[in-house]
Amino acid sequence: MLHLRPILSIVAMFASAAGLASAQFVAKDTEWPSYNADVHGSRYRPLDQINASNFSKLEVAWRFKTDSIGNRPEYKLEGTPLMVNGVVYATAGSRRAAIALDAVTGELLWVHGEHEGARGAAAVRQLSGRGLAYWSDGKQERIFYITPGFRLIGLDAKTGALIPSFGKGGVVDLKLDDDQTISAWNDKGEWVPDLTHGEIGIQSAPVVAKDTILVGAAFREGMTPKSMRNNKGYVRGFDVRTGKRLWIFHTIPMKGEFGYDTWLNGSAEYTGNTGVWSQISVDEELGLVYLPVESPTGDYYGGHRPGNDLFGESIVCVDLKTGQRKWHFQLVHHPLWDMDASSAPILADINVDGRAIKAVAVPSKQGFLYVFDRVSGKPVWPIEEKPVEKGSVPGEWYSPTQPFPTKPPAYARNGVTPDLLIDFTPALHDQALTVASKYKLGPVFTPPTESKLDGKLATLTLGTASGGTNWPGASYDPETHTVYAFACESCMDPIGVVPSPKEVSDMRYVMGTAGRQVEIARGPGENAGADSPPPPRQRAPQGGGQGFYGLSVQGLPLVKPPYSTISAINLDRGDLVWQVAHGETPDFIRNHPALKGLNIPRTGQQTYNIGTLVTKTLVIAGDGQFTTTAEHPRGAMLRAYNKATGKEEGAVFMAAPQSGSPMTYMVNGKQYIVLAISGGPYSGEYVAYTLPSAE
Amino acid sequence: MKVKIAAIGILVGLALIAQTTRTVWDGVYTDDQAKRGEGLYAKDCASCHGAELTGGESAPPLAGDSFFANWNGLTLGDLFERIRVSMPQNAPGSLSRQQNADILAFILKVNQFPTGKTELDRSTDILKQIKFDSIKPKS
Repeated sequence: MLHLRPILSIVAMFASAAGLASAQFVAKDTEWPSYNADVHGSRYRPLDQINASNFSKLEVAWRFKTDSIGNRPEYKLEGTPLMVNGVVYATAGSRRAAIALDAVTGELLWVHGEHEGARGAAAVRQLSGRGLAYWSDGKQERIFYITPGFRLIGLDAKTGALIPSFGKGGVVDLKLDDDQTISAWNDKGEWVPDLTHGEIGIQSAPVVAKDTILVGAAFREGMTPKSMRNNKGYVRGFDVRTGKRLWIFHTIPMKGEFGYDTWLNGSAEYTGNTGVWSQISVDEELGLVYLPVESPTGDYYGGHRPGNDLFGESIVCVDLKTGQRKWHFQLVHHPLWDMDASSAPILADINVDGRAIKAVAVPSKQGFLYVFDRVSGKPVWPIEEKPVEKGSVPGEWYSPTQPFPTKPPAYARNGVTPDLLIDFTPALHDQALTVASKYKLGPVFTPPTESKLDGKLATLTLGTASGGTNWPGASYDPETHTVYAFACESCMDPIGVVPSPKEVSDMRYVMGTAGRQVEIARGPGENAGADSPPPPRQRAPQGGGQGFYGLSVQGLPLVKPPYSTISAINLDRGDLVWQVAHGETPDFIRNHPALKGLNIPRTGQQTYNIGTLVTKTLVIAGDGQFTTTAEHPRGAMLRAYNKATGKEEGAVFMAAPQSGSPMTYMVNGKQYIVLAISGGPYSGEYVAYTLPSAE
Repeated sequence: MKVKIAAIGILVGLALIAQTTRTVWDGVYTDDQAKRGEGLYAKDCASCHGAELTGGESAPPLAGDSFFANWNGLTLGDLFERIRVSMPQNAPGSLSRQQNADILAFILKVNQFPTGKTELDRSTDILKQIKFDSIKPKS
């Protein structure tokens, strides 16, 4: 039986051999010390005590509800915990506290929560976020996490106490020292410095690599921005011991920096967003950091930021020590579809046509897996610039071409064409054609539409804002060089824009539908209270109120199954090995009167927030929706697939859908799988599964 | 005779129960209420859940199959409580019960449940009497 060491311990071996003054912490195969298991983004552990023969026998070992960690329960628990030295660490609750639990019993060992008052209430990204980071030098152990109010907290892992020597009393205020003055709009409509309300925050886990903490940034949903101006999402590296800022990378270049002139008319001065809100990956041996960058201000309208807009929707490689850019690749020029680089770039050492390549593979919302040499930035297989349709929204700027990978083939749907529409019966297909006739259809990169009641309401899209592969990303098996990517194949986002009234936004166009009132994202305290006066109403155009054109046919998804898939992609050959529909067929389909008598294979579900875990033999992921079947009561199944073939080997019941990606560890010779479940009426809970005890 | 009376009593009781087990198919909100809810939805919900209730990056759809999956088999009271306690995400509990009921009426309208003569109540206990099912029960 071939046993491969995890990459992290190989790195540590090199590091210590080279005599580098780096962390002496060496993660074991049995631990999970980083959000994605390691900083390579693998979500892989070579464990197989839990395997095909016994997965269905898993029992709940312990469960931890997060209801009381905060002033209200959370219904969207998205964290992946860590496990080191017999302790599980996670973020939890509407407080986004850091918690430590006994890995065997789930007993709460300590909690640390920050009460941030108005700054916390104004946070752009609420709830418990996606995780935290662990660091050790072999002696000290630290936990780092970022609060909703955007403060980096350093805690003693043993006690949860703030580390006095880190930052100021254990805290680094991330709204400071950011090469910009974090600002907000005041009541007079002026852009003024404001640490309390200034829009910037994060949900993803910070990443610790060697002795550097890497921090990105996130903003409000960007479809209806109040302004073309916003704070910028720079990336920073901090010293793990002192909290001192070591470097900053400007994702929107400053004047004089490379890429500044890809923002025409000086639009880099005021445009913001363009942060790294997702997981950062690192090659510690090479000292290289891989940044997945999001959209610039205005997800669907770029008329105020003409040009390609580097480094929006790009992968950027920077130096771990200095933050200096080594290479970059823009995945979407002049972004207009909210195709944020949404998940951890995956570091993979592969063999292509006899050549050994240190590669990085980037899964995406748009269903492409972009594969590069991670040292040079050169695509492993050609990525071709191809002409795309030019749009006609007034004042917009369009890139004449977009990059298309030649290999691997797209692993998930992007674009909407009539052949994708529901086809359980000819009648349903015809109804779908009627619904779709109100929208513009087309392949990937079909431009957004100005919404018109006497024209098209929007461009119908797949593989844009929702994805495709979203924040949970994919997993990687270093044994077989295989990427396992979950993707939603049916999460439709209609992209239509409407003129924006001045009192709503200073952008000419924002997301909207003709005939409907245009409203922007409002922060708390801004007319959110019951007693606040109603906002000014946009006068509805003539012919308004024609009814809702739902993106469904008798409640059924507009597109045909599969609604979501897990794909196995071999990186040595650049091809698809297998693909399965993941997720129980929804109740509504199984019980639908129009589908009575039809034999419909498992369809998967309309969810985009599912992450996978890969082990020695299995790919593991849970359903994202509630179902009630003959086999199980209302709930969802955690499934295990044979990683070589995609055959489902087993499944175990969960009281609610998976809402955070699963992880695994071993303590005292026993393997556990832990994941977050929540949704609908079921508030957040971490659940640990293990095999029944031997008699 | 006693058995006969008892049997009639049971039948009457069952008929009464059948009448009071309301579902979202029984016209449980009014058009006016849904119109009020539409304005509130646009202000407080659309920025995350989408103008067409199709959802967004951080919020699920409020129409169609994905939405039904979360709530089928439960009651309007369950859905109402979820909204009342945790929404909008950036200011949970900031809307009044009446506003929440109006928004819920709008959501029902978008999902094409029939309108009726009475508004959705703003009491959770009363809303718990209304069963949510996306498939119309056989009459």
